[in-house]
Amino acid sequence: MFTLGVDIGSTTAKAVLLKDGEEIVSSSIVVATVGTDGVSQAIENVLRESRMKRAEIRVTVVTGYGRKTYPNADFQVSELTCHAIGAHHEFDNVRTVIDIGGQDAKVLSLNEEGRMVNFAMNDKCAAGTGRFLDVMANILNLDISQLAGEAAKATAPANISSTCTVFAESEVISQLASGIKIPDVVAGICQSVASRVAALVKRVGVREPICMTGGVARNDGVRRALEKELGVGITTSERAQLMGALGAALYAYDKAK
Amino acid sequence: MGIDELFGQFHEIASSPRKQLDKYLAAGKKVVACAPIYTPEEIIHSMGLVPMGVWGAEELEVHEAKKYYPAFICSVMQTTLELGITGKYKGVSAIVIPSLCDSLKSLGENWKYAVKDIPFIPMTYPQNRKPAYGVKFTKAGYERVIENLEVATGARFSGFALANSNRVYNEHNAVMREFAEVAAEHTITAAQRHDVFKSAWFMLKEEHTALVKQLIAELKKTPEEKNKMRVVVSGIMADSPSLLGIFDRNGLKIVADDLAQESRQYRTDVPENADSLEALAQKFAAMDNCCVLYDKDKKRVNYIVDLAKKQNAAGVIVLMTKFCDPEEFDYVPIKRACEAAHIKNLNIEVDQQMVNYEQAGTMIQAFREMS
Amino acid sequence: MMAEEVRKKRPAPDPNSAKYKLGQIAAKAYSDCIEAKKRGEMVGWCASNFPVEIPETLGLHVCYPENQAAAIAARGGGERLCSESEGEGYSNDICAYARISLAYMKLKKAPEQDMPQPDFVLCCNNICNCMIKWYENISKELNIPMIMIDIPFNPDYEVSPAQIEYVRAQFWDAIHQLEKITGKKWSDERFREVKEISGRSSRAWLAATACAKYTPSPFNGFDLLNHMAVMVTARGKKEAAEAMETLLKEYEENHQKGTSTFHGEEKYRIMFEGIACWPWLRATSTGLKNRGINMVTTIYADAFGFIYDDFDGMCRAYSRVPNAINLELARDKRIKLCRDNHVEGLLVHTNRSCKLWSGFMAEMSRQIGEACNIPVVSFDGDQADPRNFSEAQYDTRVQGLMEIMEANKGGH
Repeated sequence: MFTLGVDIGSTTAKAVLLKDGEEIVSSSIVVATVGTDGVSQAIENVLRESRMKRAEIRVTVVTGYGRKTYPNADFQVSELTCHAIGAHHEFDNVRTVIDIGGQDAKVLSLNEEGRMVNFAMNDKCAAGTGRFLDVMANILNLDISQLAGEAAKATAPANISSTCTVFAESEVISQLASGIKIPDVVAGICQSVASRVAALVKRVGVREPICMTGGVARNDGVRRALEKELGVGITTSERAQLMGALGAALYAYDKAK
Repeated sequence: MGIDELFGQFHEIASSPRKQLDKYLAAGKKVVACAPIYTPEEIIHSMGLVPMGVWGAEELEVHEAKKYYPAFICSVMQTTLELGITGKYKGVSAIVIPSLCDSLKSLGENWKYAVKDIPFIPMTYPQNRKPAYGVKFTKAGYERVIENLEVATGARFSGFALANSNRVYNEHNAVMREFAEVAAEHTITAAQRHDVFKSAWFMLKEEHTALVKQLIAELKKTPEEKNKMRVVVSGIMADSPSLLGIFDRNGLKIVADDLAQESRQYRTDVPENADSLEALAQKFAAMDNCCVLYDKDKKRVNYIVDLAKKQNAAGVIVLMTKFCDPEEFDYVPIKRACEAAHIKNLNIEVDQQMVNYEQAGTMIQAFREMS
Repeated sequence: MMAEEVRKKRPAPDPNSAKYKLGQIAAKAYSDCIEAKKRGEMVGWCASNFPVEIPETLGLHVCYPENQAAAIAARGGGERLCSESEGEGYSNDICAYARISLAYMKLKKAPEQDMPQPDFVLCCNNICNCMIKWYENISKELNIPMIMIDIPFNPDYEVSPAQIEYVRAQFWDAIHQLEKITGKKWSDERFREVKEISGRSSRAWLAATACAKYTPSPFNGFDLLNHMAVMVTARGKKEAAEAMETLLKEYEENHQKGTSTFHGEEKYRIMFEGIACWPWLRATSTGLKNRGINMVTTIYADAFGFIYDDFDGMCRAYSRVPNAINLELARDKRIKLCRDNHVEGLLVHTNRSCKLWSGFMAEMSRQIGEACNIPVVSFDGDQADPRNFSEAQYDTRVQGLMEIMEANKGGH
């Protein structure tokens, strides 16, 4: 039996096609914003890749920021619940899930059965989210994918203390102007995101094992800075960005049974 | 009147304070604005004036008030000042502002220069309100308000009239408490419930009492709402239509509230006393369980837990008005007490300048999904 | 960006200097409490504007969480402790002093500045209502008595008889509660002694800070921010009175000799409005010094003048502290300071941690600027949370202020 999970985020649309609630047959990540046809593209991609037709999908669940505007789902579930389900499936016994997305950060606390029992989301603020990294990467003339590599070369991470993205921007500019090396600045930026998110984690409670999901999970610089900040190891997977869609597809399977 | 018509009336009044103001002015009455959280409305009422609550406005962009306030003062202050500066309160004879929190202290000071055509009348409440010397100071605060009102409006104060107003307000309190109880067990949306509470701020209390009594009678005929998730909301206010809509869409039912704009106003009655002004001072002395009322035992914390238990609530949702220090300090003990009592709790930041409640929607949906 | 400061070899401090004495007193305020606690005596945490005469007369040891938070922040521990309480669920919107203190209550240790845990708390809200909530939470969590003196914000210029009566009743109530809790006894004679000393300290402080009337000023105004700690914590002690008198003498001597603790040419004289940015003391001070700008005065210069003749006078004095007075009185005090001390510009610290102080600061500053015909410039900062300050912004704003003052002097 096939189920489809669709995660419509602020910067990307993701789809996961799941077989029998276990095997990921195909998946797709399309860079697009809500209102554009990124969603249709992602679904088209997974169907084409698996050589299936829409009608063969038993249940579709939509989640994410844009879930309310999507008409073709059987159920609509919050991305908090979906990330919890997806992470529980992907990582053994995970108890804390840190999801840093394009425009918000979430921390989920799961019980032994993998059910979400508590959560916290960041304030209406860019700091501590993918947006912050975007702004900073822009100043440094780097692609966001280059940040982790740069951070790894740092010898003396700069201190970027401002909680406010606008202030931090001017801090970064000052530091570049005074000759601080780019890797050190990038390491400082990752540290800044990590300390913002760490505060959120502490509010929910640090329970191991901890995993990271969402787009920013691919940034090793942030992940390592978070590990250091919290004093614990944090796992992630290559499918980090698909956890929401995966969780939605699993939820769909549950409903279909 | 049928229940739909009644809800319609409450909604109409709650959403059009300006119309209410104009109505009273046209009838030859004078109106006095009352800033949050508590003011001696009974006194204003007794002097033949119409007290109207000013709690800022939802989805209002602040421009003029920025000249006075930095960004980190709460939106209730910002939007109230904004409305004052932009002439939305034109016709009001005076504004009474209590100094119950640090930001309220500055509202009065700024008002003197920002809204020169509406006189500012300070109400200085004591924090040590319970001992006899505190009651005496409350009374002194009232006397000053009376003096200022007499100058601003020409109205005269009489202890006899106040005794009557005290009774009117007590009756209103009782009716609002009954409404909250009945609403918990019958069919009503979060938005409708809020309209009933909000409209109280824009009407003479006796008029509101009459309408609410009718509503209670009709409400009792409606069925219980058994499939909803019962919640208690706590905070300064739950005023945003978007937010209330989210409650309703997610099947949450507000069965009790600890909101400054709603039930906190109606918990305490004016006691019996031959001296009506003394009695009103004693009312303030008896008040508790609020973030701006000093209490070293912080009874408010257990009050909220008990309220949730009493109403069989599955959770407590704290609507945290952004930049509200008193609520932010109380939040941690409240959160801990809920956790200790195994009551689910959620903290949602709210702000009157917010238009998009997407994140709150996600959190509330997840909250529901969690149970 | 600031050039790296050359580390000068510092000469040993002169033990007869006011600076040395004041430093000792400030340190002793903490060590006395720690020793007392070790001896098994009760120790209290006290609000900075709580009537110090009460614990001093009763012979109680108290220490000051606000002062501790400032010290911790100045020594670099602000972010660490703020993060700790934020982890507990305290919003980062709350005053950073409170966040630091609540964290310290939990951690019980901070290498930047330790202090014994309290057996009771003395709260007075003439500085702000946040104090009430902060101390409520300490009292509740540690299960210790809270003595609360409510000194309401005064919307009028003068203190009313009703307020004096209310405050007086609370002073006595507090005294009686403390007698019960601690077993100590109030003595009118001892109170008279403390009143004398407090008056002496206050008079010396006011006279010392008034030396800024000289041009150039015989002192760097930033010094006041440090010396102030003693006025907060120890004004009822004889050593403090003596040290303040020494300070006055030194300033007068500087004036005679034409020297100053402001090193370099004093090109511009400003008033600094607001609490210091403790985590960024060096950056804020250097940004001014490098441009020859001396902060010659601040409201603190006027603040600790607790001079009175009788008990009611004391109640009135505590009702007139900077944060409990209306805009007009607050403005007039500052206008007088600006005029007396020939101030050419006003630098306003919009302090993220303090809503009360920032609440009507914009309007008040405008009125001061108009009355004194001086430019007013503000910058964003925080008294104890280092994350709410941008050195680049500060520098730009100070530069702007300097340029206006320069133009006003008839320069380019």
